Amino acid sequence: MNGSLPDGQDASSPPASAWVRFLRSYGPTPNNANLFDEYVTGALGRAKVQPITLTSPQLDKMKQRVASGALGSILIAGTAGDGKTYHCRSLWVSLGGNSQDWSDPAPVKRLSLPDGRRVVFVKDLSELNDVQSDEALGLLERSVLGSEDSEFLVVAANHGQILERLRDIGLRQNRVNPLRKPIQDAFLLSGQVPERLAIYDLSRTSHRQSLEEVLQGVAGHPEWKNCVKCPLQSAGRVCPIFENRERLLGTKDDRQFARKLGDLVEVARLNGWHLPVRDLLALASNMILGHRDAREGLMACADVARFQDAGITERGSLYDNVFGANLPRRRALDRPVFRALASFGIGEETSNGADGLLVYGADDVKLADAFSRLVGSDPIYGATPSYLAAQQRYLEGEEAARLDDGAADFLGRLEAQRRRLFFTLPETETAYPFWWMTAFRFAGDYLDMTTALAERKPVNETVRARIVRGLNRVMTGLLIENTDRIFVASSGGFTQSKVSVLCDTEAPARRVGGIGMSIKLDTQTERPMLDVALAQGSSGSVTFSLSPVRFEFLCRVDEGYLPGSFSNECLEDMLAFKAKLLRKAELLRALRQDEDEDEPGAQEGTLTLSFIEIEQNGHGFSRPVTVRIGL
Amino acid sequence: MRHQIEGVDFAVDEHIWGHRLYDEQLPHLAVLEFLGILGSNADSPLIATPTDRVRYRPQRQIRLRGLLFNNPYVESVRERAIPDDDKWKTWKELFADDATGLGDDDMDYLRQAFLSFDDFAKAIELLRSSAFEARSNKRWSSKFVFPFGPDALYEDLRVDSKGASNDRRFFARTGELLYLMLSRAARGPELGQKLIERLFDSKAPMNRLVKALQGEPQFAHDARDVGYLPYASHPRFDRLCEDWLAILSRDMPIYDALEHLIVSAGLNLLMYFLECAKKQSGDAEPVEIVCEIVSRERTKVRALSGDSYQTNQALSLRAVRAAVEQIKLTDGWADAVGSEDPEGECAKLMRDCFQWPPAEGEYERLSGDALVRELAEKAESRHEQHFGKIHAAWSRAIGLSSRRLARRTRYAPNDRLLKTLVVTIVDERMQFDEFLQEARRRYGLVIGDSEGAHLVREKQVDQEALSENRGNLETRLVGLGLVRRLSDSCSFVENPFGSKGDE
Repeated sequence: MNGSLPDGQDASSPPASAWVRFLRSYGPTPNNANLFDEYVTGALGRAKVQPITLTSPQLDKMKQRVASGALGSILIAGTAGDGKTYHCRSLWVSLGGNSQDWSDPAPVKRLSLPDGRRVVFVKDLSELNDVQSDEALGLLERSVLGSEDSEFLVVAANHGQILERLRDIGLRQNRVNPLRKPIQDAFLLSGQVPERLAIYDLSRTSHRQSLEEVLQGVAGHPEWKNCVKCPLQSAGRVCPIFENRERLLGTKDDRQFARKLGDLVEVARLNGWHLPVRDLLALASNMILGHRDAREGLMACADVARFQDAGITERGSLYDNVFGANLPRRRALDRPVFRALASFGIGEETSNGADGLLVYGADDVKLADAFSRLVGSDPIYGATPSYLAAQQRYLEGEEAARLDDGAADFLGRLEAQRRRLFFTLPETETAYPFWWMTAFRFAGDYLDMTTALAERKPVNETVRARIVRGLNRVMTGLLIENTDRIFVASSGGFTQSKVSVLCDTEAPARRVGGIGMSIKLDTQTERPMLDVALAQGSSGSVTFSLSPVRFEFLCRVDEGYLPGSFSNECLEDMLAFKAKLLRKAELLRALRQDEDEDEPGAQEGTLTLSFIEIEQNGHGFSRPVTVRIGL
Repeated sequence: MRHQIEGVDFAVDEHIWGHRLYDEQLPHLAVLEFLGILGSNADSPLIATPTDRVRYRPQRQIRLRGLLFNNPYVESVRERAIPDDDKWKTWKELFADDATGLGDDDMDYLRQAFLSFDDFAKAIELLRSSAFEARSNKRWSSKFVFPFGPDALYEDLRVDSKGASNDRRFFARTGELLYLMLSRAARGPELGQKLIERLFDSKAPMNRLVKALQGEPQFAHDARDVGYLPYASHPRFDRLCEDWLAILSRDMPIYDALEHLIVSAGLNLLMYFLECAKKQSGDAEPVEIVCEIVSRERTKVRALSGDSYQTNQALSLRAVRAAVEQIKLTDGWADAVGSEDPEGECAKLMRDCFQWPPAEGEYERLSGDALVRELAEKAESRHEQHFGKIHAAWSRAIGLSSRRLARRTRYAPNDRLLKTLVVTIVDERMQFDEFLQEARRRYGLVIGDSEGAHLVREKQVDQEALSENRGNLETRLVGLGLVRRLSDSCSFVENPFGSKGDE
């Protein structure tokens, strides 16, 4: 790379540096006060840039509700970083509240509406003392369950706070606060909310959509246009900041990066991770500005020339930054978003094919084509000169590489390359499936299944067969191949026993005449759900919510091995499911027994036990053993 | 005069805890003994006032237990490539060699019950796989089939050339006390009815299989009285009863519920043991059990939970000494000492209280003080043989204490116990901090910083260590599928078997 800048250009303040500094303050620095609504306004003024704007569908709904004159109060719930204060302030302003009054430190604010009603705003419940809190919660109760029509509350709180406050006030008043249960149920998506209470749970918004918005708001920000005239981007120079931003926008590869990141975020959400908007903003900032050698791991424009000259542009690769690899480990793991993304193990997970390509690809004739197509084509973050050199050193076994840790440099680079491959492998490369670069090898199938169910299309037969086989193997502890039916098996005693050879009940693997397994979409959790009916009618079935990790578990059990890392939790879940099926069978049997009571059946003197046995080909079948009793 | 206990040299522990709790009768054995009494009283289950005489006639089921645990030939005979008839014949001869002669001479009925020898062998294998301690090296007559139903219950026995006798080796009356406790709980009869309905279904398939092997039930020769429980009522009895009712109300198969019933019985019996000890020595503070939640990293709570274990371990011995010495504080003792025959009067008073000293013998002319000293020593040394080991044995058996990753025993609950706690405490779901409070209220378990606030105040541990401990529990429960995190600040413990559990 060229050492010096064209004459007459000032490297100290590249044209977009104010914007980049502003964006940097959104990043995962130890002190990113900027990410609190309270500070954003000031920071904007100093940087003299346009704010990052995100739409807020929830805010529109809140405004509509107040405008409609609907009675009752508003609860804005969410976790830290979801934008509770932002929503609360925006609603205040839109209802005619004064920004100055808002900045005033008093935690409770009042406003009169044109329709004559009074609104009490509490922007953060945790700031209230007991007296203020009791007063606010009293108003909440009166306006929701009582007949208070002239005054209502708008309160922002995180989930735990409001439930705790309601419990405490209940204890003080020696009763159970009537709002606590409905609010708790609403948070957990079960049960009905009172009509006069509007709960906006900001943690419920779809993450893929929020991510899209954040990426658009950050990578598509108008300030980037200044980079066009930046000298750090000219004369063969590659600015990592601009490069990362380009790849994030994905104009050249149909937004592949953003789509795959969206997939990860979606899978993480369905696994129960919640990623607040504040975290997504930090992620976006980090992806673009991250660099392992920059101060606090985040670049400013002033760093770029130095990195270019040192030939370490690649150490700011967005494929590493997305996992926080540019940050000290502890700082990265402080944030749910990096913890969630770390759960995919991208960089550690790999396939033989992919590693073969990355290690031998440059030299091996058979791999050369694929190597140049998938790695060589990217001289910035893929086949960089230093990567190729490290690869050579590793392969030729130089002395240094044979010492302990001698290969550490190359292995570190290998991880980075695996991360890159996950994001860059096209779906058409069937020899190198990109999901195999993650701990969730079947996540692609999972997302396809979820989409199919949402569109009311049938589930792929191969996937269905995998689920059934996995289920049967967990149920019985035997390596059986059946895909046509589900064995509800018991060991006779505790359900927890490893092997269960006694077939309690069988159910067809697909729903026929109201009996058997069907796969549906649970509209509340948005996850697929296995619904196994042992008898007709809604009381005859047991359901099992299929999160990505549970699906992965079943698929891997189907492949014949149990993954140690996440098997315990899933196994427990599966055993609980099995116990419930056995319980259902027990209840149905008792019901039948009662019905049969009138007429002594042929069953009276005999007992039939069905033992599950396996044929040579792995097909399981139940063999009845008849026992004559009372002879 | 106090209740007289037969067959003891003196009665001290018996008046603190009852006759008797026994260290080697681990909770599952206590529950099995209990079920035998329940089965024998199936027409009035857990219905008995404190003054009623509860009696029962246990089953012995010599044929069934012999087939399962004194019958090592089934496997080898099955594997032989000989006709079915020959298998039966060969097996019959082998079995007859070890038969006890107590009703197991004629086993020909088995040929009628099973279509083939292989079927018979399969049934035996199935029942063995779920039996308690089937592979242990206990004597065969102390091994138990899973309590599938009324026909699967029998008492612990010693079987030798002289016949079968009840030597109280593993059924040492703890199950009898369990029966009395539950019958003295407010909702005892309700529980009794539920247990009979769920566990004593003679039509349950596995019970029918057991019956096919056993044939008609075999009983002990005569009915017997149950042991002695000093309290007509006790909050712990009610707690135990409520816990069992809660477990039975869960949406799970009864055979799975049994596992939780056993752990719950163990935990509550342990609490009873510690509570009575505290009360006896005049300690009004509730029992406290500081638990370390084991995680990958070493925690500061470990030392504290080790201390807590030691403190509780010492309670019962202190109670025994106190129980003896407290006699000196009574008015009766003062009168006796001031009487014309202080030695004789004190001895009489002691005898009324402790069934000791014997009327004649070496203690005849000892002073009152010397008698108290003597008995206290005797009582302490007897206590250490069995009663004194209860805390250690039971807390380990229910998974409350452990030496995992440490040199010294401390409270470090295992997954099985945690599961039982959730199944018992949580109806459907409960906020995590409430769950911790409830575990503290019911069983004295101290896990988080809020339950251990007084320990922090007393500078025994820093708050951070306890809140980390609490975090470790949350993580463990997430791993067991028992906690759902709503956000950083808010998580719920969920009972997967709650009546409306949605997953």
